[in-house]
Amino acid sequence: MADIIALEDVRVTLGGFQALRGVSVGFVEGKSTVIMGPSGCGKSTLLKVAAGLIPPDEGRVLFHGKDIFQLSERGLMDMRRQNGFVFQDGALWENKTLFENLALPLQVHFPDVPAADRNRRVIRALERVGLEESASERPAALSGGKKKIASFLRALMTEPALLFMDEPTLSIDHAMTDRIHQIIRDQKGRGSTIIAVTHEAQLTSTLADRLVVMDAGQVLASGDFDEIKRSRHARVRAILSEVLKDIASYDTDLLSLLDGNGESI
Amino acid sequence: MVAALGRWANGKARDSAYALGFFFQVLKETALFMRRKQVAFHVLVLQILFTGVEAMSIVALIALAFGAVIIVEGGTVLPRFGQTSLLYSILIVVITRELGPILTAFVIIARSGPAIATELGNMVVSHEIEAYMSVGINPIAYLVVPRVLGVTFSVMVLTIYFNFFGLVGSFLVAQLIHPIPFVEYFSALLRALQLRDILSTVLKSFIFGVIISVVATYHGFKVSASVTEIPRSAIKAVGQGFVLCFVADALITLIYYV
Repeated sequence: MADIIALEDVRVTLGGFQALRGVSVGFVEGKSTVIMGPSGCGKSTLLKVAAGLIPPDEGRVLFHGKDIFQLSERGLMDMRRQNGFVFQDGALWENKTLFENLALPLQVHFPDVPAADRNRRVIRALERVGLEESASERPAALSGGKKKIASFLRALMTEPALLFMDEPTLSIDHAMTDRIHQIIRDQKGRGSTIIAVTHEAQLTSTLADRLVVMDAGQVLASGDFDEIKRSRHARVRAILSEVLKDIASYDTDLLSLLDGNGESI
Repeated sequence: MVAALGRWANGKARDSAYALGFFFQVLKETALFMRRKQVAFHVLVLQILFTGVEAMSIVALIALAFGAVIIVEGGTVLPRFGQTSLLYSILIVVITRELGPILTAFVIIARSGPAIATELGNMVVSHEIEAYMSVGINPIAYLVVPRVLGVTFSVMVLTIYFNFFGLVGSFLVAQLIHPIPFVEYFSALLRALQLRDILSTVLKSFIFGVIISVVATYHGFKVSASVTEIPRSAIKAVGQGFVLCFVADALITLIYYV
């Protein structure tokens, strides 16, 4: 299948720090890709550049073959409607209620839909995850887990075909993690393209069709999950072992693959 | 030393280019504001409420006090030189041309400048700006333009409001010193009032409104990653707002008199 998003020799410097150093990578349509790497290696920056939220200093970001940063206003709006982004810290709008947080994307992308229909859609979404009683609350009054769920709902309001997720299960309890896993499984089941940054072994195991392994602002390896986890590249193996060592119970042959030929990880 | 100077100059040039680019983006999006689907309209209404309506009492109080001061000073000094008749012209010139626009601007710089810079700075740090972008909302169109329009409109209306209360304040104090009939007092003021006084107050308040709002939003957006940058950006919004309003005031006054 074709790449839905492709980065070509992308370089980004943030606050004097080279976050991405000539990254070229493609994300295949309809597949779920997990971006892995040590903290500070540029995973979140890569995700935001791919989503068109951070412009690269050099290089190009292509969405269906067109440069995101050269799109017309209408083209950009179309692209945004097809994309959803789940932020690491939720990034809900603090000056709006939970209901308004979910309603705004619909207002922007479907201005001609009657307000009553929009409101029904928001209420339905909240009911699906049991947050309807928090509809009138501001984000500050919500727990970390509820914020994360709300961030998911906001990203999914326009029913995007492409979902970006930055550490979707970081710092939340088991019950909330399970609910988020369910939402992600549903999205994957619908054939959405998912690009996720995560350190969570279980999520990686259940979600990833493809892996991108990063280190120091560069992509070390990218490709099918099975292919990457058999990589002989020492640094790739070291990074994978950090995350994947925890998931032996989910993928029984994984540790043996990583331990192939008796090498220590 | 030379290298440090070069880095400083380079940084300043980059900042200036960024500020110029920001300003042109604001101009472009302001021009398009009425054409857009008005999801940002309620932001504009809220901004007028915060900047305009909530500042009415403090502006009225300051205007009354300054009107009183001018009439007391003028009413004391001018008769010594046999120039009592100039009192009305001085009231009009001082209040409508100078104090009305600049003092209103100062009140708004002090109240709304840091509030806007802090709010936007917090939004940058908590990734709310990126969240707006992610759902297809242009942050300049949605967050900056309504604030620029709201602050500018508020400064213009508050300046007229200041002028009115300044002149009413002077009338009230005049009743204590030397009672003048209401009709006579305001007839004399209207005779002293010229079209250029009205133009001056409107032009200055418009330019001050634009300066205050653009400077505050610019410094809010200039926050990059850390919460420690937010108080600094609020201070800069106030400092630069004051300086630029003073400079603009001097330039407009010079253009008027030259």
